[in-house]
Amino acid sequence: MAGGVTATAALPRAAARRRARRGAATPWLLVAPSCLVLIVLFLTPIGYVLLLSVTDPNVSLGHYVRIVTVPLYSRVMVNTFLTSLIVTGLCLVLGFPVAYVMARRRGWITTLLVTIVAMSFWTGFLVRTYAWLVILGNKGPVAAAYAALGLGSPPRLLFTSFSSTLGMTHILLPYMILALYAVMKKIDPSYLKAAASLGARPGAAFRSVFLPLSLPGVVNGCLLVFVVCLGFFVTPVLLGTPRDMMISQLINQQIEELLAWGFASAVAVVLLAATGILLTIYNRFAGLDRLWG
Amino acid sequence: MLVVVVALVVALFLVAPILIVVPMSFSTAISFQFPPPGYWLGYYVRYFTGTEWLEPTLNSVVIALGATGLTMALVVPASFGYVRFRFRGKSFVNLLIMAPLVVPHVVSALAYYGFLARLRLNGTHLGVIVAHGVLAVPLAFLVITATLKGFDRNLERAAMSSGAGPLATFFHVTLPVLRPGMLVGALFAFLSSFNEAVVALFIAGRGAATLPKKMYESIRLESDPVIAVVSTLLVTTVAIGVLVSVLARGRESGAA
Repeated sequence: MAGGVTATAALPRAAARRRARRGAATPWLLVAPSCLVLIVLFLTPIGYVLLLSVTDPNVSLGHYVRIVTVPLYSRVMVNTFLTSLIVTGLCLVLGFPVAYVMARRRGWITTLLVTIVAMSFWTGFLVRTYAWLVILGNKGPVAAAYAALGLGSPPRLLFTSFSSTLGMTHILLPYMILALYAVMKKIDPSYLKAAASLGARPGAAFRSVFLPLSLPGVVNGCLLVFVVCLGFFVTPVLLGTPRDMMISQLINQQIEELLAWGFASAVAVVLLAATGILLTIYNRFAGLDRLWG
Repeated sequence: MLVVVVALVVALFLVAPILIVVPMSFSTAISFQFPPPGYWLGYYVRYFTGTEWLEPTLNSVVIALGATGLTMALVVPASFGYVRFRFRGKSFVNLLIMAPLVVPHVVSALAYYGFLARLRLNGTHLGVIVAHGVLAVPLAFLVITATLKGFDRNLERAAMSSGAGPLATFFHVTLPVLRPGMLVGALFAFLSSFNEAVVALFIAGRGAATLPKKMYESIRLESDPVIAVVSTLLVTTVAIGVLVSVLARGRESGAA
């Protein structure tokens, strides 16, 4: 059996090697259009942003110095980082039980959960952001519930960092659940049975067997949510407040209101660098293709 | 048992806000009011009879189709080259193809805004198609390379040894087997363009305004109740798609 597997696996590899020797140009002809398009129509525009950040309006590192030294801007960076951390934490806490049940149970509950998670995953950000505007608005169900209970009007919910954090958590939760689920469903249930037969109580079996095995999913999910959150645009702009700006709101404001290309580009480069550093660290340990696979 | 209850509560938190748009779409209120003061179909009539919302809807469909075409034209050959050959610079190619997924969308949006302005392509369908097509490349690449890696090449060898030429083998054996994976890749590309808001917001302008851009602007500037109708139509479409795929998978595993 083992011999058969390696033999069939070796066959295409040997064939590929033979072909690689015969026509080294073939793979390049196949990948060249993509590479060319990505270099000309993706890397070039991004490179232009890098260039603008140090040349507009004149050649200097002034924009970067301002980002670090002007409290208004450095606060945006810290705020973005903290908000992303909070959203990631909330998604993990809320998502873990859902993924756990999806992975460990069968029957209608799993079908229901899969349906709901897939539905919210594929529903656009704007639909969900709009829904939160209705729910938290001053004519929404929360306000109606306050009035019905005789509590008067609720505290201001919309256009605060609360509503923006809540909206982002709601939108990114399916990403976390799917990342967790992808790893959890591969955990062999017989490991837990083995732990039980060796005398582990369910709690202990969960802590010392299931939890460690699910950690790669936790890392994937957290990184994915954190990285998307760092650059989140629509929801913070529509649900948040300019007082607690996130990075993408700052970029938008600089372009839309001030046409400050150089500064906006520098902020974008900082965001790109932060994302790049995180993903590079991840790539070192796990390989990037596993994150979305 | 407790964990099941918690999971169901979280699921309710996920789905309830999405479902709230359905009653909102039949509401008579001119602002975002829930529960609705009364029900009618007026905003559906307004959506389907005016160009104000139909035009962005059409733009979105045209752009998503164009972007999907571009993505697939690039990704299908690249996936074959990447999976079936070893060559120098392979990891560089992988990094290059993954780049649009790694760069935050707001950064790509800013980059395209400046870049397409130089080419005078801001506010054109072509500009948005190019940007969305490029951004969807890594998604389709992930799906299609995964399908290709699972392809049993003995099928091709069998065809060849039975006398089929390389082209006949490709069109009669390889392509039909890979078709489901290709379709999923294309669907990912289509939806990533159809749902994409940030890049479109920066570059679509008036001329090629997409549905998410129109929704964004209607929320930000005017709070037009028709947005509830659009949201309901989108949610319904997604719900039907998800239910069909869940049921199809359920029947498959039931039959097996």
